[in-house]
Amino acid sequence: MGETMISQVSIFVDNRPGSLWEVTQILGEEGINIRAVAAYDTPEFGILRMVVDQVASAKDVLTRRGFVVRITEVVGAELVDEKGSLGRMLEALAKGGVNVNYIYSFVIRGGKAPVMVFHTDDNEKACAILGEAKIRVVEAGEL
Amino acid sequence: MIWSKEETLPRGQMEQLQLGKLKESVRYIYDRVAPYRAKMDAAGVKPEDIRELSDLQKLPYTVKADFRDNYPMGMFAVAPGELVRFHASSGTTGKPTVVGYTRKDLDVWLDNVARIACMGGASKDDIAQISFGYGTFTGALGLHGGLERIGASVIPMSSGNSKKQMLFMQDIGTTLLVATPSYALHLGEEVREAGLDPEKDLKLRIGLFGGEGMTEPMRAEMQKIWGKGFFCTQNYGMSELCGPGVSGECEALTGMHVNEDWFIPEIIDPATGQVLPEGQSGELVITCLGKEALPLMRYRTGDLTKLDYAPCPCGRTTVRMANLFGRADDMLVIRGVNVFPTQIEEVLLGVPEIGPHYHITVERIEYLDMMTIAVELIDDRLLDSYGQLDELEKRIQKRMHDVLGLATKIKLVAPHSLQRFEGKAKRVTDLRKDGL
Ligand SMILES: [Zn+2]
Repeated sequence: MGETMISQVSIFVDNRPGSLWEVTQILGEEGINIRAVAAYDTPEFGILRMVVDQVASAKDVLTRRGFVVRITEVVGAELVDEKGSLGRMLEALAKGGVNVNYIYSFVIRGGKAPVMVFHTDDNEKACAILGEAKIRVVEAGEL
Repeated sequence: MIWSKEETLPRGQMEQLQLGKLKESVRYIYDRVAPYRAKMDAAGVKPEDIRELSDLQKLPYTVKADFRDNYPMGMFAVAPGELVRFHASSGTTGKPTVVGYTRKDLDVWLDNVARIACMGGASKDDIAQISFGYGTFTGALGLHGGLERIGASVIPMSSGNSKKQMLFMQDIGTTLLVATPSYALHLGEEVREAGLDPEKDLKLRIGLFGGEGMTEPMRAEMQKIWGKGFFCTQNYGMSELCGPGVSGECEALTGMHVNEDWFIPEIIDPATGQVLPEGQSGELVITCLGKEALPLMRYRTGDLTKLDYAPCPCGRTTVRMANLFGRADDMLVIRGVNVFPTQIEEVLLGVPEIGPHYHITVERIEYLDMMTIAVELIDDRLLDSYGQLDELEKRIQKRMHDVLGLATKIKLVAPHSLQRFEGKAKRVTDLRKDGL
């Protein structure tokens, strides 16, 4: 995996009141900042996906508190403020034969352009395709 | 060594012996035990109706509640003056279950225990340390008497005080341990922690375990802890029946041989009370033959097992009962299908992505029973996509269906979110109004 990948933290959460809040609470106590968050759920449970500033400590503290946590790599691409920007990214990936599993956006960047987070079946290829399409792929260090 | 000739009787002779004793015992209980006479009268059965062994099925069951309703000695067939011993077991609620023995009862009991000790490989040369708690519990005095009868020397140690247990093992040279399997494991750990190597430092070679079931993983663990040369068997009994001595494993480890000349076993469907054919699993029912103080007909033990009448390599011809696989009280009836939590447990143990804890909820939705099994996800690799979690749920569902013959719902929950239990776990919530 290249350094252009962003590490994402996935957490299994029960579908019950307060379960998401519990996660943010624990990370807050440890001084870990959440940069982006996406939660999809089924009636029973959900997978909470986050980009945080201290990936290893987030996994560590959440695991100690009894959560199932997984770190996976995702691709971040800068979303320029013009019409059809997201569409262009998706089109490039689709034409390149890369399957997008899920996407979410990432806005808190201190004035810089927002970022779309992609999880695909081939992240390396996705980076290459986006690069060729002149779409800026964001590196982990830039967050 | 086989202790009694009755253990090797051809089937026909055994059945003849059983029938003769059964007829006498039914006449005896009818004449002497009013609560059971009332049950027989209500069922329209008279002692003379018992003409062949299968007529046993005409007799009404005896249940644990009969002891509670006739507390303390209403089920006894003799006057207190004829008794030579009392024992008692803790009832599940409130008062204990009190049992009594005449001199003949005690003699038969200890002879049956002697058989079990021999099945497990004991001999007169053994030094037996009894690490069951003494007192009104039948386990300690039962094994004590049975082992003395075969000529072994007995150390009436009682349970607890591991240091003293170890001291006797080392200095007197104990060769045989009588304990519950869990205490034997605990003691073995203490022995190891004290820096002793049982294989080199101790002479222990036999374990006679009872009081609770021993699973195969526990048996494997015993050998790890006590050494490769350690051989252990388990035996079965309950105070209502006599105590230990009802059945025990022989050296072939093919199940527990029932002392059939004193106990007739049957297997029934715990929900319907129907007798099941040989080989099927269900609740064990025992009829005691020739007991004087506390005769018992068709006692529902609440224990789940199955019977195997095939000949055993050890030479005994007595029927063998399989290792218990749970209690009938724990059984659920879901859409008419009997379900035991142990079956569910077994399926879940075979799924590495989830933890060992679970909780079952049974509801009735539009007149249809629905069982939901909550399990804790522990494998983070499944968090890449919902598809993987979905696949896991479907895989567990399929295995449940294969084992139970029922559709179930699997609910994945976070680790540590299910309640933990110190003692007996309460793993079932039945929300159906009428219980069934
Ligand atoms: Zn045998």
